[in-house]
Amino acid sequence: MEDLIKRLEGYKEDIVEIKRPKERRIFVRVKADGFKKFLSRLIDDLELRHLSTITGVDLGQEMELLYHFSYKYSVEISIGVKVPKSAPKVPTITDLIPGAIFYEQEIHDLLGIEFEGHPNMGPLILPEGWPEGVYPLRKEYTVQELNRIARGGG
Amino acid sequence: MSYGSTIKVPFGPQHPALKEPEYFLFEVDGDIVVKVTPRIGYVHRGVEKAFEQETYLHNLYLAERICGICSHAHTTCYTQTVEGLIPLEVPPRAVYIRLIMAELERLHSHSLWVGIAAHEAGFDTLFMYLWRDREMIMDLMEEISGNRVTHAINTIGGVRRDITNEQANKIKKFMDRFEGNVKEYMKVLETEQTFLKRTKGVGILKPRDAISLCAVGPTLRASGIKSDVRADDPYLAYGEIPFNVITHDGCDVYARTIVRCEEMIESANIIRYALDHLPEGKIRVPPPRTIAPNESVGRVEAPRGELIHYARSNGTAKPERYKVRAPTLGNLASVCQTLIGAHVADIPMILAGIDPCFSCMDRMTITVKKA
Repeated sequence: MEDLIKRLEGYKEDIVEIKRPKERRIFVRVKADGFKKFLSRLIDDLELRHLSTITGVDLGQEMELLYHFSYKYSVEISIGVKVPKSAPKVPTITDLIPGAIFYEQEIHDLLGIEFEGHPNMGPLILPEGWPEGVYPLRKEYTVQELNRIARGGG
Repeated sequence: MSYGSTIKVPFGPQHPALKEPEYFLFEVDGDIVVKVTPRIGYVHRGVEKAFEQETYLHNLYLAERICGICSHAHTTCYTQTVEGLIPLEVPPRAVYIRLIMAELERLHSHSLWVGIAAHEAGFDTLFMYLWRDREMIMDLMEEISGNRVTHAINTIGGVRRDITNEQANKIKKFMDRFEGNVKEYMKVLETEQTFLKRTKGVGILKPRDAISLCAVGPTLRASGIKSDVRADDPYLAYGEIPFNVITHDGCDVYARTIVRCEEMIESANIIRYALDHLPEGKIRVPPPRTIAPNESVGRVEAPRGELIHYARSNGTAKPERYKVRAPTLGNLASVCQTLIGAHVADIPMILAGIDPCFSCMDRMTITVKKA
């Protein structure tokens, strides 16, 4: 753990914040500029092979992506990066971690974040005929409204 | 042989070989699968959005209902995540009771799966034996918790029911019998030609692919990778209990079967050990109603593999965001890879190989399709 934190601190020009709430849990916030480059260096450096999942969070003006990597299947390192809601775009990491394919596709469906370079940004989860531009997990959609849309109310 | 051109075969969402609705588009060249495109979401219930609408206590019941088989794994992960947000220390006796239930659940889930694998291979006698044993495990779980499926034993801050000495003895007695039965079934599985022909060399997932496609659970371990959340990231009391992480280097459906069978024997040992070392004391502490802004990640080894929950609190009694990633979604990328190059006739066997739980995998958005 200590060693891991030290190695992460080596990336201080990319990292905004490191938190360590309990054993085997690390949260790292990084800058959006050069995110892909940073991630690819980190993946090589720490040999991060297992991506547990990606979480998307709607923060209002911005959206945050949390990449939950599992270091040696043991320490869960969550790497957070923010994207503006007006232009939610981030490069895909499927070239680095092929297992990210459905996680990115799912977030695109539900939060409308574009993963540039992803092999298939088509729908994965939403039903056929779901109106374009309606992203259910965004905060502006209430459950009542989503129910109305799901029943065909557009 | 190659036919030079391919045809597209839709598979599901309603299909006799699928126990739950999901859609896969197969591109086949003659009898060989060359491409797979999944389309999931046919059993979506909007769980993640629903989590944001209700209180932490209410959400416990929602988490219980994400899956109909590993409901206890989801509440174990939910309580771990929410207790991490507070943070709250759980009494040791409650920790052990959670663990005993988790292992009983693994037993019933794995015996369900081995039964289904036997059934898919056309060996229904074994299916019947395993499901008979599974029934008895569910009876035990009902005796402890009051419920067969949604056990509702976990609560934030502990468990709702205690295990009595009488119950403990009953469980231990059954574990001895069950272990003997599993060993017997393994002998059958290892020698029965019908089963071997349908599973050996079928659905190969190379270790390299298993790692890069982020496979989890028995699927990953059957490709020779020693990874188990219980051992790698010990939660509950797994750090105090000796057990082996089972792996197999067969990389096929047969290996996945053997891994699950041997895991059942390990689970029986864990349960016996936990019952012998059950700490005394209270079983729950009261949690606060509201939770200050924080975030937390919970990880659990569900019967199907690594289960991960992420929560973010905002100072109210309801979470700001709650994310669930069930093991089946984690295995979707690897199973799509495994299906490429397979015979059409092996599709059900390979799909069954990851022990898919589609209602776990689909949980995400509001798709109330009432027309």
